[in-house]
Amino acid sequence: MTQFEELQQAIIDGKAPVSKALTEKMLKEGIRPGEFFSKAIIPAMDEVGRRMRECEFFIPEVLIAARAARASSDILRPLLVGEDAMSSVGIVVCGTVKGDLHDIGKNIVAMMLESAGFKIVDLGVDVSAEKIVDAVRSNQANLVALSALLTTTMVNMKGVVEALAAAGLRDKVKIMVGGAPVTDAWAHSIGADGYGKDAPAAVELARQLVAA
Amino acid sequence: MPEIPQHRIVLRPVQTELTAPAGSALRDLLFAQGVEFPCGGQGRCRGCRVHVLEGLASVNDAQRERLSPEELATGWRLACQCTLDDDLVIELRQWDAAILVDETPFAFEPRPGLGVAVDLGTTTLVTQLLDLSTGHVLAVRTALNSQARFGADVMSRVQFAVAKGGAQQLRELIRQQIGSLIEQLVFAAQVPDGEITDVVVVGNTVMHHLFCGLDVEPLSRYPFESEHLGLQTFHAGDLAWKLSGEARVRFLPCLGGFVGSDILAGILATNLSEREDLNGLVDLGTNGEIVMGNRQRLLCASTAAGPAFEGARISMGMRAATGAISEVKVKDHAINCRVLGNVLPVGLCGSGLVDAVAAGLELGRIQPSGRFTDGAGAWELAAPVVLTQGDIRELQLAKGAIAAGIRILLDRFGATAGDLKKLYLAGAFGNYINRASAQRIGLISFPSEKVEAAGNTALLGAKLALFRPEGEDGSFARLRHQTEHVALNADQSFQETFVEEMAFPQSTSA
Repeated sequence: MTQFEELQQAIIDGKAPVSKALTEKMLKEGIRPGEFFSKAIIPAMDEVGRRMRECEFFIPEVLIAARAARASSDILRPLLVGEDAMSSVGIVVCGTVKGDLHDIGKNIVAMMLESAGFKIVDLGVDVSAEKIVDAVRSNQANLVALSALLTTTMVNMKGVVEALAAAGLRDKVKIMVGGAPVTDAWAHSIGADGYGKDAPAAVELARQLVAA
Repeated sequence: MPEIPQHRIVLRPVQTELTAPAGSALRDLLFAQGVEFPCGGQGRCRGCRVHVLEGLASVNDAQRERLSPEELATGWRLACQCTLDDDLVIELRQWDAAILVDETPFAFEPRPGLGVAVDLGTTTLVTQLLDLSTGHVLAVRTALNSQARFGADVMSRVQFAVAKGGAQQLRELIRQQIGSLIEQLVFAAQVPDGEITDVVVVGNTVMHHLFCGLDVEPLSRYPFESEHLGLQTFHAGDLAWKLSGEARVRFLPCLGGFVGSDILAGILATNLSEREDLNGLVDLGTNGEIVMGNRQRLLCASTAAGPAFEGARISMGMRAATGAISEVKVKDHAINCRVLGNVLPVGLCGSGLVDAVAAGLELGRIQPSGRFTDGAGAWELAAPVVLTQGDIRELQLAKGAIAAGIRILLDRFGATAGDLKKLYLAGAFGNYINRASAQRIGLISFPSEKVEAAGNTALLGAKLALFRPEGEDGSFARLRHQTEHVALNADQSFQETFVEEMAFPQSTSA
């Protein structure tokens, strides 16, 4: 097993101390920080996503795997220089909409997007449309990811789409939505660009939207 | 000798067909099919009632006494009282009687008049007519909440209500339905309706607001706190109820958030607020509600446990009705399923789901992570009923939310599971769930002897409230102020604890 494969395995198994130690060891041996993402972290989280989709992994396993990925990426990010530092796939502003406090699903999506190379601006829960508009503007984000878990709060997603349009930012960002009561049809009806039915689907969608 | 004609019986939903000679007792025929006769076929209860969909089945006095004119007119019969005189198509709905009626004896101070206790649930309604001078229950009527067609859970009900005219429609529906149930109670008990002096209604905060005509909009969004949680008093006339007297109608106060007067009534019924030691009450439903405390302090919380315990979102989930696997036991490294009504299994109800997962853990088929050990997608419990990987995940979400809520409330008391004297399980599911299985899956991490099924505590509490003299309404307000509502979703540690509690405990025997 190569060291990259070992690191992948540590992330999939959710062993944060192992992934941290391996990352430090490999850095000492002269491996370039940028290589870790393409050769270990992104493929490991893709595998976690696959297992989640196949019901093999559930929320706890995904969260501990994401923590193990973060144990590695937290060491690497400050070290990224030059080409690697610029290499973020996209800048995502994410949050759970106003009136809604559910954050587990949003956190999983954020962590998986981060592991997939996106820069994440996580605004947390109960986030107003204005706050999202401000964050998009100040971070020059190209993607907005919104979560809602209640039928009574998902209507606030529409308000975010409208606020971004009113602020003249609608053509600068793609908007994706998700959460238990949300559907593809709903996403279309409020003028969002896409719906992610689960975290792996959200990562796939984010990749497509920034590539479009 | 003339040949005795034969009649055909089709049983639904199981689609069994029988043929028997005319004049046979329906009781014997159905008993052979696993239908139970709780009073032994004496016509003294309603346990064996069946719905005759086609054909004629005669009515006798025992049935007139136990079934309402509406029920008789729509084909409901007591199976134990009928003989076979026609070809019949019968729906066996026996186990739909999962609506739990309270029959717990209670202490009270007699007062003149009649009273009605109403447990207004999101799904079901239970009403009892009581003689306040003797404490006797004179009649009982249950029904499905007629608002349910506008949404099964409280949030969808709120969503409907905030739309134009929705709240008024829901208010009128429920007021009319309870009024009509009271008329049925009066009719069944053959008492003068003018003697009804008191009606006490309990329900969760959404039911309280919809019935009382209060704005539910604050309940649609964070922080889910309404200003109007207090006791609401009406006169029967205000509600357009056709009672000749001036009955006083009280909807007991809510405790906070979605935790309503059904839980306040539960505190009355279990006496939690009067005890020195720490006790808890858990109502396992779509919204799992938890109260914990003693005479000094009470904490309550609700968790959106999801409808897993009621069979929704479970691939072959169903209510605890005929054909549901209600129990799964492990014997000699194999499982043994009990099916309600003793028919071929068609699905899995909440208690069966909890049992099945506990059995899977015991047999090593399910890992503590919730994953099937062999990596399969499903486990056949009793053909054609299977438990899928997705079903286990739904249960993990539901039980994780409840277990986390219990843990957080205990933490607030600085207590551990060992400090709790008793944990009462309220509601129908609390009555049917196997306590050892609940412990095995980590839903409740207390020894079985500490866990007690408490029945319909909402209804019992409403009955106790009927006997409180008029001047004592302040006691409800005091209880409400004594009980602090903990907003779990805003608790820093909730999400973390919730995720931790999603896993199942390691095997205890290993």
